[in-house]
Amino acid sequence: MNPQSKSTALSVDLNNFIYGVSRRNTQNAPELTRTGLSLLKNFPAARDAVLEYFAMVFHDAVNVSITQTDYETDLGANGSLESVSIIGPELCSLGQSWAPFIAPWCISLIMDIATKKSSVPNTTLQNADPVRILLDITTQNLTLLNSEERAKCIDMMLGSWACSWAVGWVGRAEPALVAPRALQLGADAARAVLAHLANHPPATHHVRVAVLDLFHEALRDDSKPEKKRDVIPYLLNLASKSDIVLKALTQDIEQTLTDEVMERLCGVCVSQRGSAAWAEVSPAALVALLLRADVRCLLLLLRHALSNLFCRQLLEYLLQKLEYECLFPDKNIPLLMSAAEEINIVRDKLLDGNQLEKYSLARILILVSYNLPSEFVSTISYLLQYSRDDSTLALLVRIISGTITMHVPSDSPDISMDTERYQNFVKTGVEYALRDAMLSDNEIKMCFLDGSVPKDQKTYLHHFCLNIIKLLRWENSNRVPHLRTRPIGRAVEANLYRIGGALQEYTSLLRIRKECTMASLDEMPTCHALAEVLDRVDMTGTKAPPPSVEVILKVVQATVKYFFRCLHLKELMEKLRGVATACRLLRKVCGCSKVGRAAALRDLLEHAMLRHDAGPITQLTQSHTSVFHAGIIGKGVRKPNGSDSNEIPPILTTNNELLMGALTACMVSDGNSGLVEGATSVSLLLVELVSPDVMYNGLPWPDEDFTKQVSIERELYMRGALESCAVARAALRRAAAARPALCLASALLRATAATLLHRLRAYLDRHTQSAEMAKERAALTELLSTMTLGQLLPHPLSHMLELAPELTASEIVQVLRDCLWNYTRDHVPSPALFTCDSTGLHWRDPSTCKPPATYTDTLRLIIQKRISKLGHLYPIMFLNLEKEN
Amino acid sequence: MSVSDLKHSLRKYEFPACAKEALNRIEQLLVGRAAPSNKQLDIAMDIISEFVFCESDRRSVRRGGGLTPLQDLQLIDIICDYLSACTNETTKNTVFLSLFGGMESQRRLKILSILASMAVSASSTPVLLAVGVWLQQMGCSSSQSLELVENVIRDHFYLNTSNQLALKSLANTAPQFVSNFITAVTELYMHDAQGTNDNKLPPKNLLEVITAWVYSNPTLCMSAQLNPAALPSGSIPMAAVTPLAGLIHWCALAPLYIDDDTEMVDVPVPFKKIKLEGESDRSLIKTVTSKPLTESEFYIKLHLGVLHSLRAGRRTHGPPTAVNAQHLAALAPVVQAYAHNVLKRGGKLQSDHKLQDCLDRIGQAVQVALANGCVYGNISNLLAALDTLPENRLLRIIIKTHQQTM
Repeated sequence: MNPQSKSTALSVDLNNFIYGVSRRNTQNAPELTRTGLSLLKNFPAARDAVLEYFAMVFHDAVNVSITQTDYETDLGANGSLESVSIIGPELCSLGQSWAPFIAPWCISLIMDIATKKSSVPNTTLQNADPVRILLDITTQNLTLLNSEERAKCIDMMLGSWACSWAVGWVGRAEPALVAPRALQLGADAARAVLAHLANHPPATHHVRVAVLDLFHEALRDDSKPEKKRDVIPYLLNLASKSDIVLKALTQDIEQTLTDEVMERLCGVCVSQRGSAAWAEVSPAALVALLLRADVRCLLLLLRHALSNLFCRQLLEYLLQKLEYECLFPDKNIPLLMSAAEEINIVRDKLLDGNQLEKYSLARILILVSYNLPSEFVSTISYLLQYSRDDSTLALLVRIISGTITMHVPSDSPDISMDTERYQNFVKTGVEYALRDAMLSDNEIKMCFLDGSVPKDQKTYLHHFCLNIIKLLRWENSNRVPHLRTRPIGRAVEANLYRIGGALQEYTSLLRIRKECTMASLDEMPTCHALAEVLDRVDMTGTKAPPPSVEVILKVVQATVKYFFRCLHLKELMEKLRGVATACRLLRKVCGCSKVGRAAALRDLLEHAMLRHDAGPITQLTQSHTSVFHAGIIGKGVRKPNGSDSNEIPPILTTNNELLMGALTACMVSDGNSGLVEGATSVSLLLVELVSPDVMYNGLPWPDEDFTKQVSIERELYMRGALESCAVARAALRRAAAARPALCLASALLRATAATLLHRLRAYLDRHTQSAEMAKERAALTELLSTMTLGQLLPHPLSHMLELAPELTASEIVQVLRDCLWNYTRDHVPSPALFTCDSTGLHWRDPSTCKPPATYTDTLRLIIQKRISKLGHLYPIMFLNLEKEN
Repeated sequence: MSVSDLKHSLRKYEFPACAKEALNRIEQLLVGRAAPSNKQLDIAMDIISEFVFCESDRRSVRRGGGLTPLQDLQLIDIICDYLSACTNETTKNTVFLSLFGGMESQRRLKILSILASMAVSASSTPVLLAVGVWLQQMGCSSSQSLELVENVIRDHFYLNTSNQLALKSLANTAPQFVSNFITAVTELYMHDAQGTNDNKLPPKNLLEVITAWVYSNPTLCMSAQLNPAALPSGSIPMAAVTPLAGLIHWCALAPLYIDDDTEMVDVPVPFKKIKLEGESDRSLIKTVTSKPLTESEFYIKLHLGVLHSLRAGRRTHGPPTAVNAQHLAALAPVVQAYAHNVLKRGGKLQSDHKLQDCLDRIGQAVQVALANGCVYGNISNLLAALDTLPENRLLRIIIKTHQQTM
């Protein structure tokens, strides 16, 4: 039949279409489709037929795209797919007046397809191109309808069980219409629709509004009793099946369940609990819901738990359920995930909640920490920083021990490995807390800006230290079973380097103190606390591996700095306490490490002599030019302020004594040998610090003439340095007491002796009463007493000390030269002179080291000459000598 | 040929073909020298029901499904073919009326609506003429007619708006259909006698087409009356109602309902002109000439067309048939209600230009109609009704003049 030859009453198109449709196949589909579309435009009356044909095309296309595994290859080849892609844009763009025809057609077609293909998985169906196109057309045309028609269309779709996905999809255009309607359906259908709807993010808001509307509606006083009875169980049932509904209900739950709403809800519960609809609202169901809710729900539950018995029971049930669920390692519980996400709120609540909240949240935190080690670390860090009372610290202990011991069977082989791992977390937690506390101290705080700083405001670091101290005290008391493994102690020990660093930083005078931060507060309380932390941990290595050299050095440096800061404190008790702590620390560190001791001694002395008291050390020139170019001989450049006193600074001051105490503390740890050893290094250090170069620092004393010619310049300098530094002299005194350490400071003694000889010889009797003379005499007294103490001058030379004040300058010169210098020159002051007895003490036996007469004759002659005045000394010095002779 | 043989022979065919064949058989049955007997009519109806519309099966049991839209289309195509091929006007109308003349079947009415709409689309004169006859026989204001007209309007003035030219030419090819169509349309719009709640106004493109029809073709309105339908023997021809009275209603009431201010919105914004030397003038002229008429301007034009048509409606012999006096008198309560509203708002009847405009148009129409002898019915009643209208100089003169002549 040739359409051309046929007598056409209406149009060729129409005939073609009718003829084509009656013998439809895949080949002519695109052509027929185009004809259909033109018919649609020119013969609107034919729309029913055309649309019916299009529906067939869609069915074909859906079949094709579902069955074809790899249909991309022949997308163009298949007529129905091609036709569908032609139809799509055309039907979308027909306009408003067509929408009332197109939209119902689309919807019934979707329902048709969905019903026919209900065996095909939804996703396959949804992803089929023709369905996509169809959904697009539907959406497009729905938006063109007025609201009444639209609602009708959506109702039409909701009526079908098979196409909830389509409702969800199409509903994205009109979520505000779909969501409330979907909620009128049964729970299963509503769940499906809402799930599809929520794939489209903007729609979630409407779902939420719809759900909440329904909820509030049910709670209204004037709502119908059956609504009151049914809605809440329905919503809970729906929530148990649909994450979206649950999320909609629980999002911002504080705003939803205000106190007023709660009150009404309780009223409804009480009145309806008995009804059949409420039978499903069992605690078990609620707990199952809560497990999937977010942590804010839990917080709300906690808030009400105190006043509401049911909430309290529910809470306990929930916690037990959670703990049980956590036994299965690969189970993700949304509540815990949410708690981890919002852990800051949880922790804040842990700090300021009531008792019940605190304990419950601690249990939650244990579970979170168990699942997420990072949260474990951060929780420890947080609580160490912000805990302000014992109960919170106790919770921290509980969380730590709870997390570590949770579900580890006591006979598990990897228990040690596991605890080791957790110990590492604790360590990291402490580390983070320290770091964060120090960072927080440098943050600008509001209270500084508005001037409302409390009087006893403590730095964050201080609080951290106080918490650590408290924990360490508990740990050391051995009365807390949870802390038997010393988790905190070990963690602090592992962080010694950082704590030492913190102490060093806070004691530093050069520390930057930013305005309006905690750093601008007085740092000493923090330093005391830090020192106490250090004081409380074990560094001996008996309970844990000994600290590394690096750590020791850090702690030593910090402690020395702290010591000197304490020396400068005004308040006496605080000062003494601080110094005592520092000494204790030094003793502890030096006791276990020789390196530490050396470092401590050097630091202390250097600090005291060079940085602390005296000015900078002068480097003597290495050339032949002289340093005597200006100022006072032996004193260097005249001080600008002119207070050029000739007084030698006294040795016996509090600070000096405290410093000596510190020095001693470094040495005393292993008895006398330690003391000697320490004193020896002190001597060496003194030489090193006072003497400008290493030449001529040997033990032997040369000929006196040699000094005059060669080394007098440096000896003058050395004596000046020594004299102006009370610390050095005091230290020398200590070294003398710890025989034979003084020997090693022989260079210093020699310098004093040489300069005394030189000066006294120069003054002779001219300046008997002058200040210079008095100073020289004082220096002489000190030299003699030191050497006597160090047993470098044996009896009777040791009595020069008593003799000296009575002698004239020339006599002193004689005595110094003949008795002191010559004796020492011939008996080199070396440790070899001292013998070690059975108790470990070094000493020179007076009986074996009597000086020969050549060294004592000068003394004897002088005494004899001035027997009237000095006679009382003669028997002491020489009588026994005589006897033996 | 007996009935069973007839049916038997038809049953050999599948659906589209059997309808085609059935139409021929029906023609044979109904068209003859004498009027068909009742038995023949029954057989014809039976065949129509079973083989054309497939409403019942061979045991005359009603079939639920009926035809699918595609089959509808096929059937319509066949009917169109048949009607176009039919040379005898009477035969065509006979078959057509027996197909669709029944009042009861909604499905047939639906098919008829599609058929009419398709015929309009294709400007198929034979079909349109047949539909015109059907409209007239059913009565232009019957519910079936109105439904059909509504369908046509929706299809051609809402869904497909690109065929105005083809529509305008219908007035020349199928004037009887157009005339009846307009009569039915005037029943659909602005026909609320109360006039208080806002009346449905015809869409602008429909108004435009009707204006074009009436304005360009003064005899159109009378065409249904001038060309009596070729009806089957024995049937009673129904009097054709001209659309003039309805159109007078439209034109008279238009000033009352149409807001001139809202009109302005319809004027398209002249798009931004790029200034080009010498071109600005021409484009200016163009915009003026191509400016579409506003709705009220359409009504003015339509009014003029109606007046022309009234003049053409004068009949050389026989009583006037164009306008029913009662129909015109029905305007009075609507206008009075409006005037009442004006007074309630505190306006003055004399200065309300909308009202005066309306009264002027009534006066013009009545005068032309009366002067040309187009009015039938009780004219004095009409004049009495007009007398109750608010004061208007033209109207007063007209009433006076005609009351004197009576």
